[in-house]
Amino acid sequence: MRIFHSKWFRAVALIALPLACIVISLFSGRFFLSPAEVFSTLLHPVPGAAATTVVFQLRLPRSVAAAFVGASLSASGAAYQGVFRNPLVNSSLLGVSQGAGFGAALSIVLLGGGAALYPCAFLFAVLAVILSILSGRICNTNTNVTLILGGVIVSSFFSALTSILKYMADPYSQLPAITFWFMGSFASVGTTHLVAVIPMLLGLALIYLCRWKINILSMGDREAAALGLNLNFYKLLLIGGATLCTTAAVCISGVIGWVGLVIPHIGRMLVGNDNDRLIPVSMSLGAAFLVVIDILARNLTAAELPIGILTALIGTPFFVYLLKKTKGGAWQ
Amino acid sequence: MSELLSVRQLSCGYGSRAVFHDVSFSLNRGQVLCLLGPNGCGKTTLLDTVLGLKRPMSGRVLLDGRPVSRYRRQELAQKIAFVPQLHQASFPYTVRQVVLMGRAAYTSVFGSPGKEDEEACDAALERVGMLPYADTPYHQLSGGELKLVLLARAIGQQAPLLLMDEPTAHLDFRNELLFLETVVSLCRDEGLALLMSTHSPDQAFFLSEHGLPVTAALFAQETIHYLGPPEEVITPDTIRAVYGVCAQISSQPDGQGGTSRRISLSHTI
Repeated sequence: MRIFHSKWFRAVALIALPLACIVISLFSGRFFLSPAEVFSTLLHPVPGAAATTVVFQLRLPRSVAAAFVGASLSASGAAYQGVFRNPLVNSSLLGVSQGAGFGAALSIVLLGGGAALYPCAFLFAVLAVILSILSGRICNTNTNVTLILGGVIVSSFFSALTSILKYMADPYSQLPAITFWFMGSFASVGTTHLVAVIPMLLGLALIYLCRWKINILSMGDREAAALGLNLNFYKLLLIGGATLCTTAAVCISGVIGWVGLVIPHIGRMLVGNDNDRLIPVSMSLGAAFLVVIDILARNLTAAELPIGILTALIGTPFFVYLLKKTKGGAWQ
Repeated sequence: MSELLSVRQLSCGYGSRAVFHDVSFSLNRGQVLCLLGPNGCGKTTLLDTVLGLKRPMSGRVLLDGRPVSRYRRQELAQKIAFVPQLHQASFPYTVRQVVLMGRAAYTSVFGSPGKEDEEACDAALERVGMLPYADTPYHQLSGGELKLVLLARAIGQQAPLLLMDEPTAHLDFRNELLFLETVVSLCRDEGLALLMSTHSPDQAFFLSEHGLPVTAALFAQETIHYLGPPEEVITPDTIRAVYGVCAQISSQPDGQGGTSRRISLSHTI
C-alpha cells in the first residue's frame, strides 16, 4: 500500500484520471460506433472515413476542450478563494462570465454569431475584468473586499446590457442563441477552437507555479508581507493567471456555473486545504468532472442538454450537502 | 558591528497627522524592548514601520545598518519575524502547514517548502511544545495554543529579531505565563532580540526578573517619553502620566535573592 502514498503515484493518478475520462468519452455519442471501430480508428485512422471524422474532429477536440475548461474553472476558483480569503467566491468573480456573455450576445445580434463570437466574447471578458479592477481601486482601502465588490458591480452592469440585447434580439433565432450561450455547451467545439488551450495552459501554469504562495496570501496582506511575500507580484501572477484561463474557458464553452466553486471544495475534502496539493487535485478533478458531465449532456436525452444545466443540477444538491457536512467539520 | 535595529527620529502617522514623532531607540541581539502606552498611541504603527509595511513620515529605521525600505520583502523576513496580535483564520490549515508558512522567507520564487523546511518547522513546534498538535486544524486550537503556533511560525523564520504585537492579549494566566517563559528561553538560548508591545507593565518586570536585559519604552505626549530599565521607568508617577490612572508598584523578594515587582491599579484620574 506504500505506493499509494508516494509522490509519483499521486502525480500519475492525477494526470491519468482526466485522460481516462477523455478516452471513455471517445466511445460515447449519438453517431453509433462500436468499441472495436473506435479502437481501430484510434490505432489506424483512415482519412475521410466517417469514424475518423467523428472521433478525431468531433469527440476528441470536444473532450479535450471540456477537460481544459474544467481544469481552468476549478483551479482559478481555488486560486481566487485563497487569494481573496473567501471560500464562497468562484471563477467568474471578476465579471468574466457576464462580460463574455455580453460580448457573445453582441456578436449574435450584430454579426449573426459565427466566427466573430469568440474574439468578441474574449474582448468583453477582458474589458469586464479591467473595469472590475478599476472600480475596486476607486476607494483605496481594503482592496480584497472592494475588488470582489467591483466584480459584482460590473457583472450586474453587463448583465443589464445583455438584457437590452435580448430585448432587441430576433426572438426566433438570436434570442435562443443568446440564451443557450448562457447555459454553456461544448457542442460547437471543433479543432480550431483548441487555440483557446494556449491561454488556458498559460494561466494554469501560473497558478500551478504559485500554488503554495496562495496559502500565505490567505493569511491576509499584513501577515503575508511579514512572512516575506512580495504581495503585488504574486497577486498579479495568480489573479492574472486565473483570469486568463477563466476568460479563455468561458469563451469556448459559454457560462458553466458551479465547477469553479464546488470542485475546489471537493478537493479540500479529499486532500485538505494546503494549496500545494489542492491546486493539482482541483485541476485533475475539474477536468475529469467536466468531461464526464459532457458525456452525460450528450447522451442523457434525445436532444443534447446544455452543460451548465447539468453542472448546476448536480452542483446545487452537492453544495447543500457540503454545507451540512462542513458545519461539524474542519470549518468550524 | 552596527546595532541590529536602530530607530532614529522616527515620525509616523496617517495622512498629515502624526501619531508619534521623534522616536529613537536601538536594540541588539539578546535584548528586549517593551513598548507601553495607551490605546492608539502608535505601538502597532511603530511595529508596522519597523516591518517595512508602513512608510515613516520622517526619520529612519535601520536594520543591520541598512534602511528597512531598502530590503526586499524576502530578505526582510529573514531578519524580522512577526507574531501578530489578532489572527483571522481563513482556511482550516493544519498546524504544520501554518508553521511551514514561516519558511516562505527561504523558498524560491515558485517553490514549495521541502524536507529541510519541514524539519525546521517540526523543531520550532517542538520548541513551543506544540508538536503533538502538528496535524490538528489550527482554527480548532484555543487562543493560547494558537499564539504558541504563531510563535513557532516566527521561530521557523530563523530571524534574529522577533516582533510581537500584544502577544498575550486574550490569554489566560497560565497561557500568558507559558508564552512568556517560552519567549524568555528563546531570547536567552538563541540570543534573539525582541521588540514587543504590551498593555501589561508586569510583563516588562517579568522578563527583566528572568534575567533578560529589558528596556521599557513608555509613550506619552506623542513620543517615547520614558525609556530605560523597567524598575526605573515604570513608577506610579510615570504610569499616572502615561495612562492617567493611579497605581502602586509593590515589590517583594522573589525568594532567589532578587526583587519581584508588580503593578496594582486603584482608580482613574
